[in-house]
Amino acid sequence: MVEIIFLTPFVTGIIAFFLPRAIGRQLLVGTGAIHLILSLLLWKNRPEAFFSSYFAVTPEGLLSLLVISLLFFLISIYTVGYLKESEIQAENIFTGFMLLFLSTMTMVTLSDHIMVFWIAIEATTIASAPLIYTHRSSASLEATWKYVLICSVGIAMALLGSVFITLSMDIGNVDVPLSFSALTTVAEALDPLWLKVGFVLILVGYGTKMGLAPMHTWLPDAHSEAPSPASALLSGVLLNCAYLGIFKTNKIMYAAGLGDFSGAILIIFGLMSIGAAATFILKQKEYKRMLAYSSIENMGIIAFGTGIGGIAAYGAMICMIHHSLIKSSLFLSSGNILLGYGDRMIQNTGDLVSRMPKTFVAFFSGFAGISGFPPFGIFIGELFIIVGAFRTGHYITAGIFIATLCVIFAGFANQVMKISFDDFHKGDSNTTIQIKEKASLVWPQYILLLTSLILCFFMPDTLYQTIIDAVTAIGGGLK
Amino acid sequence: MILNPVDTILSLVLLSVLFSFGSSRLPGLIMVVGFQGIVVSIVPLFVGHDMNAGGMIFTLVTLLIRGIIIPMSIYTVIKKVAIRREVEPIIGYHASILCGLGLIVAATYVSRQLNISSISSYTLLFPTAIALLISGMFLLMARRNAIAMVLGYIMMENGIYLVGSTFSARARHIVEFGILLDVLAGVMIMAIILQNIKQTFDDVDTDLLRTLKE
Repeated sequence: MVEIIFLTPFVTGIIAFFLPRAIGRQLLVGTGAIHLILSLLLWKNRPEAFFSSYFAVTPEGLLSLLVISLLFFLISIYTVGYLKESEIQAENIFTGFMLLFLSTMTMVTLSDHIMVFWIAIEATTIASAPLIYTHRSSASLEATWKYVLICSVGIAMALLGSVFITLSMDIGNVDVPLSFSALTTVAEALDPLWLKVGFVLILVGYGTKMGLAPMHTWLPDAHSEAPSPASALLSGVLLNCAYLGIFKTNKIMYAAGLGDFSGAILIIFGLMSIGAAATFILKQKEYKRMLAYSSIENMGIIAFGTGIGGIAAYGAMICMIHHSLIKSSLFLSSGNILLGYGDRMIQNTGDLVSRMPKTFVAFFSGFAGISGFPPFGIFIGELFIIVGAFRTGHYITAGIFIATLCVIFAGFANQVMKISFDDFHKGDSNTTIQIKEKASLVWPQYILLLTSLILCFFMPDTLYQTIIDAVTAIGGGLK
Repeated sequence: MILNPVDTILSLVLLSVLFSFGSSRLPGLIMVVGFQGIVVSIVPLFVGHDMNAGGMIFTLVTLLIRGIIIPMSIYTVIKKVAIRREVEPIIGYHASILCGLGLIVAATYVSRQLNISSISSYTLLFPTAIALLISGMFLLMARRNAIAMVLGYIMMENGIYLVGSTFSARARHIVEFGILLDVLAGVMIMAIILQNIKQTFDDVDTDLLRTLKE
């Protein structure tokens, strides 16, 4: 019974609205643990869904699901520590929507029916909007407004795209269930024109949610205004969920023999996103916005790799997993910095290395990981993408890709150095005093980074096989 | 050309698009959106898919949500927070109406080019859906009032529903109902945000929502 895995957090989420804060916090961690266990069981057994016309266990869904589960469990531990330190009004609403958010994202990973997938994605928007508005400030209100409106309109485009795919079935006289897996098997009979139109609309729609430029404008606002645990979830897993929609549609396109068409569009959107991130990261004044732009960059990298296909598609999957692990650790660390310094501006921080040494270790290694330095997994992913691009003869795009990554690294490094080593000026007293760091506020980051590190050297066979299964459907693999 | 009932009511929807572009006051705009909601939900009754009891109930629920609950919830927001009733256009009303006319002509022209007559025998169905969709986007871009933008979004959703109901007898009602519920929840969230915007900024002019940028 696959459905139980998203029904559990749904039920506990509803219950959490009516609970006092102490129990609500325990419920958050408890649900996270149960969810992780259920995901591992699902990974091992791969059962049939009860409503098999709507839900199915797919390799790409399993990958995202495991990432979601692991991240949510660690983030929930962090959240308990974070909630004790910061003042959040109406904490029961925050925990309740965190759990509902988990439920909707899990539903995304298990959806197989095109329309049910859409419903789940739209539900993630609705469940996460209150999280962004947690601080009740005018800026967070603005961020929530932009998030809800831009994402709803964007996702409406994806709905139109899904409708056009049903139209391509009607014209091609295809009569199969309206699910991604069934459509992939009969893709050649679908009307190519409407399939193309549908793909473009779905790419624009889910691309909005994924943060691809030029539809990314909501992303930095939402990620910087949300409380850090929620930012970590938004960036670490929500973006992957939206990517799943594009990935699954791309599977249909590839099976229909239109892989070149969809690949070219993905490459263009990917490069635009990396370019947009490079432009804004250089002059960034707030560290959480900087991390948000880095997410846009990584989503661009993933789209680029998927577009190129072959070994690069494998690299894109690796990048997706490691980006989730590393970026969520970075957002959690940024939450510590915010708690310690009480300011979001980079210029009002500094000397992190001596004031918050434990957070510094997490933050700095996270930075190294996200920039693609060797002991972390993104290095391998990006390497595969670049190799794949050269192999398929995309010399110019690969050149642009590498050059922009260098620019982003330079900008990112500059800001991180300021936060870590610059002198901290604020008044004249307590400039060298350490800020207390609780264990629950640093260990989740360490575990996330360690996971990325281990996966870089030792990849379990089952994980490797699942990634291969996922990317074979879009013509990827380690050949 | 003999007009059948579907094309007749759809022609009214096309007129209502023009009316919405020219209307300067929010209550009128809400009425127009409500009217469109009602029409797009009753179209499936005439389109000639087999109607069983479940389909009938679903149509009524759609009618209730699209035609009554959604417009009423937005209307309640206006009442509750006594928002200024003008839509604060970026593009003027006359220019908007001209755009609307051009839009309808273009939508009709494009629909004729596309080879979908084999699927649907109603002349105005596809053009109206496209016109609703694009005019919703137009309202989103050409009005600064946050409520007018939400109404634009609802108009878009109505357009998409019309496209969907045209072809997809295959989507089961339970799925359609899920989509409807999502749209409803989305509009409700937007309504709550609107109230908070009004309380925080004392206006719903989206020019006030521009502090977060690079």
